[in-house]
Amino acid sequence: MPATLRRLGNLISGQGLTWVMVLVLAILVTAPLLTIFIDTFQPTANGGSAWMDVLASRLTENLFLEPTLNTLIIGVCVASGCVLLGGFLAWLVVMTDVPGRALIGFMATLPFMIPSFATSLAWGSLFRNGRVGGGGGLLEGMGFAVPDWLSWGMTPTIVVLIAHYYALAFTVIAAALATVNGDLIEAAQMSGASRRRVLFGIVLPLVSPALIAGASLSFAGAVSNFAAPALLGLPVRMQTLSTRLFGMIEIGQAERGYVLAILLIGISALFLGLGNRVLNGRKSFATITGKGARPRRFALGGARLPLTMLAWLICLATTIVPIILLIAASLAPSSLKLFSDWTLHYWIGEASAQFARGQAGILRNPHLFTALSTTLVLGLCVALVANIIGVLIAVALTRQKVPVLSNLVSQLSFLPMLLPGIAFAAAYIALYGAPIGPFPALYGTPLLLGLALTAAMLPFAVQTGRATVAQISGDIDEAARMTGAGFFRRLGAITAPLAARGLAAGLLIAFVNVIGDLAITVLLYTPSSPLLAVLSYSYASDGFHQFANAVTIIILVISMLATGAASLLRGRRKHSFA
Amino acid sequence: MRLTLAATTIALLSTTAFAQDLDSLTAAELLAQAQEEGQVTVYAFTSRIGRVEEAFEAAYPGIDMVTFDISSTEQIARIRSEAQAGVAGADVFYMSDAPVVLTDLVADELVAPYVPPRMAELVDDKFKTPLLAQRLSTKVLMYNEEAHPDGAPVSNLWDLTKPEWAGKVIMVDPLQRGDYLDLMTEVVLKSDEMATAYEAAFGSAIELDEGIENAGQQFIADLFANDLVLVGSTDDVNAAIGALGQDNPPIGFTSYSDRRDNEDEGWALQVANEVAPSNGIVFPALLALNPNTANPAAARLAVDFMMGDESETGGPAFAPFYVAGDWATRTDITPHPDAIPLADFTGWQIDPAATAEIRAEVADFILTLL
Repeated sequence: MPATLRRLGNLISGQGLTWVMVLVLAILVTAPLLTIFIDTFQPTANGGSAWMDVLASRLTENLFLEPTLNTLIIGVCVASGCVLLGGFLAWLVVMTDVPGRALIGFMATLPFMIPSFATSLAWGSLFRNGRVGGGGGLLEGMGFAVPDWLSWGMTPTIVVLIAHYYALAFTVIAAALATVNGDLIEAAQMSGASRRRVLFGIVLPLVSPALIAGASLSFAGAVSNFAAPALLGLPVRMQTLSTRLFGMIEIGQAERGYVLAILLIGISALFLGLGNRVLNGRKSFATITGKGARPRRFALGGARLPLTMLAWLICLATTIVPIILLIAASLAPSSLKLFSDWTLHYWIGEASAQFARGQAGILRNPHLFTALSTTLVLGLCVALVANIIGVLIAVALTRQKVPVLSNLVSQLSFLPMLLPGIAFAAAYIALYGAPIGPFPALYGTPLLLGLALTAAMLPFAVQTGRATVAQISGDIDEAARMTGAGFFRRLGAITAPLAARGLAAGLLIAFVNVIGDLAITVLLYTPSSPLLAVLSYSYASDGFHQFANAVTIIILVISMLATGAASLLRGRRKHSFA
Repeated sequence: MRLTLAATTIALLSTTAFAQDLDSLTAAELLAQAQEEGQVTVYAFTSRIGRVEEAFEAAYPGIDMVTFDISSTEQIARIRSEAQAGVAGADVFYMSDAPVVLTDLVADELVAPYVPPRMAELVDDKFKTPLLAQRLSTKVLMYNEEAHPDGAPVSNLWDLTKPEWAGKVIMVDPLQRGDYLDLMTEVVLKSDEMATAYEAAFGSAIELDEGIENAGQQFIADLFANDLVLVGSTDDVNAAIGALGQDNPPIGFTSYSDRRDNEDEGWALQVANEVAPSNGIVFPALLALNPNTANPAAARLAVDFMMGDESETGGPAFAPFYVAGDWATRTDITPHPDAIPLADFTGWQIDPAATAEIRAEVADFILTLL
């Protein structure tokens, strides 16, 4: 048996791993995408061609050009904003002596766990004006006239999405910064380099894979995000590719929706390809070598106070404020007066005809606990599987340069990020909903949901995996190989432990993403085993906002516990941010 | 081999005969088999199904009703996928979106009709075929009763295109939600009436802009040009129009029956009925069976139950729907005392087939406007 394993290991350590990953990606990504691609060539409801409708008809401007322009503006602004904000906080927390590092680090990961629709609603409750009636938000209530551009459309969408996705950039960049070898910095400082020179000459170049990964993830997240542009853009009729795509599927013109999805993928791939080019152009990022050293911290000196205050301001605005508004919204009987007449009915109340249209509090909803356990199990399984695949892909990409194939693997693993969840789910139903050969139909099984979510999490897993694995020097691996260690042994004894911190970040991102995901689950969940996000959505779509917010808070609490657990794990390894 | 074939044939024949049998049974006669089945699953497009479930389980102990609140659009997607996968997700479907359901789903035999025998005489034919309609619902013009105590501030749909309503008309994006697209489609279908109403509003015959084919399209174009505000959900519209304490609230299209939440939510929603030529659309909420149901008797019993009992208001089963703004299709249920009688209601009752025919075209037209 060990001999077989060894042989398998030898096979894989050549080009084999890349081939295996191509196969995995074919099942998870290529096949579903191909399915909807083929669908776009079906004649549409009015007998036309979906491609012609989108690209060359009187609809082109409103269906494609304008939404694309809006989408790109949002993507570029959000990606830049996220890297700046996330990178700044990550640098502060990991590399400097800023006070309260652990707490800032914890808070900076939270915004991603607050669903972007909640952040959008929070924006609304502060900044919305009378355009949609109902009396406006807090600022208007205080007597300020809020202009449309601040209430609706591009500006709030960009701000909300930065506030949501910078946590991604933070997590990836912080993980990379933490593995920067202290020796390098020490050497530079001993040779008289200034702080600025150390930062720009050593640290930034070293973490550039993470910066690019952070930018890519934020860009892709922003261009495929549906909730924020839908809630904040619609009242001024700002459309993005994802809102158009959703609308087309919703009114039964799925083929056009798929065309938009494919175009979205194409456009984003073009942009992200540029990033990858930068990444691949560099020879090596290896800084984790055989001899480790503790990271060094910069003393902030006079900048300490202002920088600390800035960090806290960011955390307050993106974390505390939305959470407070979310909690208030789960307790207040009316969304107009968030801070009066609080009641726990929406949490624990018994069903009564006089209150909340006869709905009992969420903790009395029998579906809640099924949803809770299903969500947790699914989240854990998907996070684990996706990250194992993610690290394997990262290893394949860094250790095996197979012409064409490596590039293919890299591109394919990132594609799910670009495909809005609802289109992704539709593709999975179309492909795996019916029996394929000897395999039974997966529709209605948790497996289908698990597969789709695993595929959707791959970009996160691969990006975080790459950012970490790319830093592990090939020398160690080489040394082990020379002493006769097989592929699996090297993976388990060298790569996995060294990548553990990056892996923790990847696991966390995937887990949080899965338990908060709505776009994919809303089409694929099994009615007999609801998920928390679906429960929250169904409450919200019936107008029970308090209940929806209460469920969102449960999701948030689970995410926070997961984050806490992750940083505890890191703490035990004596490598914590603090 | 021959024996098996024969047995299968007999089994098949008897199932068909059996199904026809079940269709003619009364609730009391269905009960024994339904109890044996012990369970019935319902997809419903309204959260009110939760209260139906309670009432059903109280009336028929031993039969577990499992309900899921799933929007009509999503139900349609699910029904298709489930049929393709050969999975029977639900036994009973309760859904709106008649233009899609009554054309596509019925034609593809993805849903099966069932009319409980006792409803044969109580429901008009047009509400029995091709599927049974349990009640009628609306998407109509609603205003804020607190700000306008003397009645609706508009008397003609074309008023909404006048400058004083610029940026003050709100509705759900018809390109994101089917029922609002149905509303816009109906306006186009009723172009002649819209042309007459135009003259009443402006005193001269309508002149169509270039590229516009009829009065209905012209209305939609003018409405969008008048800075129509779009939002994502009916609830956003309700809050915008209905919220108390507004000086100059917007007006817009939503469900008449949402008025039932006025007290709970702090709204002052009221329907604008005196509107020429119409205040919007009236459409059916449909009940259908899954043709592959594993619980044929319990499914029929559930449909029978949801049509209400013999009392004047339909009893506990119908109570969630006995509100102003929903009209029972049963002729023997006393109309809700607060509601405008259906006969006096100005809303157009949609023709699902006609809607289905031009819906995509209307969607394309709207797409060129925004």
